[in-house]
Amino acid sequence: MVDYLTELTFIDYTGYVLQILLIFIALAIVLHKKTGTIVILIASFSLVTASLYVLNNAPDVAIAEVAIGSAIIPLIYVISVSRQREFIVLDKAMDDFIITDEQFTGIGYILLKRFADFYHLELNITNDPMLGRQDEARDQRLIEDTNVDLIVTKDKETGDYILKGKASSLLMNKLEQMTKDYEHVRVVQFKDRGLGE
Amino acid sequence: MNPILTFLVVLIGFYGLSTSTNIIKSVFSVTIIESGVILLFLNLGNFEPGSIPIINDETVMIVDPLPQALMITTIVIGSTVTAMALMLCIKVFHQYGTVEWKEILRREDIKS
Amino acid sequence: MNTSASSSSRTVVSVSRRILLVAMLLVLFGVFTVSMLELEELYNDYGRQYFFENAFDETGSRNFVTSILLDYRLFDSLFEAGILLIAVSGVIWISKHDVEEKNARFMIDKYKTPDLFVTFSRLVYPLMLTFGFYIVINGHLSPGGGFQGGAIVATAILILYYINPDKETNIGFIVTVEKVVYLLIIVAASVSIVTRGTFFTNFFPVDAPADLKAIYLVLLNVLIGFKVSLGLWTIFTAFLKEGR
Repeated sequence: MVDYLTELTFIDYTGYVLQILLIFIALAIVLHKKTGTIVILIASFSLVTASLYVLNNAPDVAIAEVAIGSAIIPLIYVISVSRQREFIVLDKAMDDFIITDEQFTGIGYILLKRFADFYHLELNITNDPMLGRQDEARDQRLIEDTNVDLIVTKDKETGDYILKGKASSLLMNKLEQMTKDYEHVRVVQFKDRGLGE
Repeated sequence: MNPILTFLVVLIGFYGLSTSTNIIKSVFSVTIIESGVILLFLNLGNFEPGSIPIINDETVMIVDPLPQALMITTIVIGSTVTAMALMLCIKVFHQYGTVEWKEILRREDIKS
Repeated sequence: MNTSASSSSRTVVSVSRRILLVAMLLVLFGVFTVSMLELEELYNDYGRQYFFENAFDETGSRNFVTSILLDYRLFDSLFEAGILLIAVSGVIWISKHDVEEKNARFMIDKYKTPDLFVTFSRLVYPLMLTFGFYIVINGHLSPGGGFQGGAIVATAILILYYINPDKETNIGFIVTVEKVVYLLIIVAASVSIVTRGTFFTNFFPVDAPADLKAIYLVLLNVLIGFKVSLGLWTIFTAFLKEGR
């Protein structure tokens, strides 16, 4: 065993050190909790494996791994992870329920902010005029086709505020519980027509 | 010694795949397993001493080039499979509002 | 993602099952270690010897990996290019946003790219494109080839999305070009049925000089690099439209 250890060259030492580093990075990826940090760990994992490919006399495979695993894969992960942090609300009521000038105030805004904070989501309110001008019957189509999660409208006869969302979404039950205290706010859930139509 | 250390990476990836509650974490673990397997094949190809498989006038002996060609194919296919899996994850989030698969299954049981 | 259930995520799989899982994985590890000790008897040398002596004379490329991918095992490469085509069509069908941009625009644009980034990208973009073309064309003389160079060119095109976030791309046109290039690859690979009598190999005869045989290798590398970069570009565009 001692003869084996003294015959190692410098390149062999580097290979062993990098492989032990690889085991630690893999353990960190599997055991960590936040997905935002794991994306950076994936990029460093790909870099260390590319160095190991060169040390194993395979330069073609190393170029392929660097190009694909360090630029393309982390970008796709960042896009899909950041998409899941937002909660998008379309405001069609356009009055005091949600005020969106310099600072955000209004009863509706406080309600939605409490709801979004409970799930650690970022609240994003828009009143895009192109989408806001569609009539009531197409609301379900609007939620399914675009990336809007909730629509706020005002009922003309009763003066209630209606919040519309998807029935299959698990967040809607929590929203219903939170709006029970407010007497002029109602929640309507759209039953979905199934995926893959 | 090298293939044994690489097989540990593959086993860590299996552990992560079995005990993850998030769908995105399962996709991470599949990427780890795939990279570990590719490294294992290249380690086994490097068994006898030799130089890189590009010939010029001074080459004495080369490393086996066949596993390297197969592994290039594997890397490209693995990345496309990851892309499709992540697109499905985005669609699941858009439909259900969460990515923990236990809650989604509980919701489906309550509905049916 | 970080919902309230994440505090109880440790108990989704209970501790006794985790110990059982670790024990099974350790058994697998032990089996693998025992079988690794007998590797010298299982290893054989014939493939390596054959490639070292004959591959340069038969195919005309100094890079053995390129000669395997483009001459001895061209059938595998054709199907790999086909898998890219299938994956692109799958991603586009799942996302269902092919031509128009229908997502809501926000009043406060929180994701503006910093100006330093934009200037630096403008400097780096032509260098990356040239480097990608160099790797594609020199596939038979140095490490490189169609697949690697295609991925680098796709990364270079991705930088354009940083410089100009409102860039409109017509996915239908790119997918049509990609399909035409795939048919051209199959045609270029099948020409050898006329000159040599077998499918999917070099269309120059075996005793032609190495410079003539390199024409086929460069042509096929360029076509494959083109196809791979277009496919990866389409996958990016579908993700970016889905994500914003």
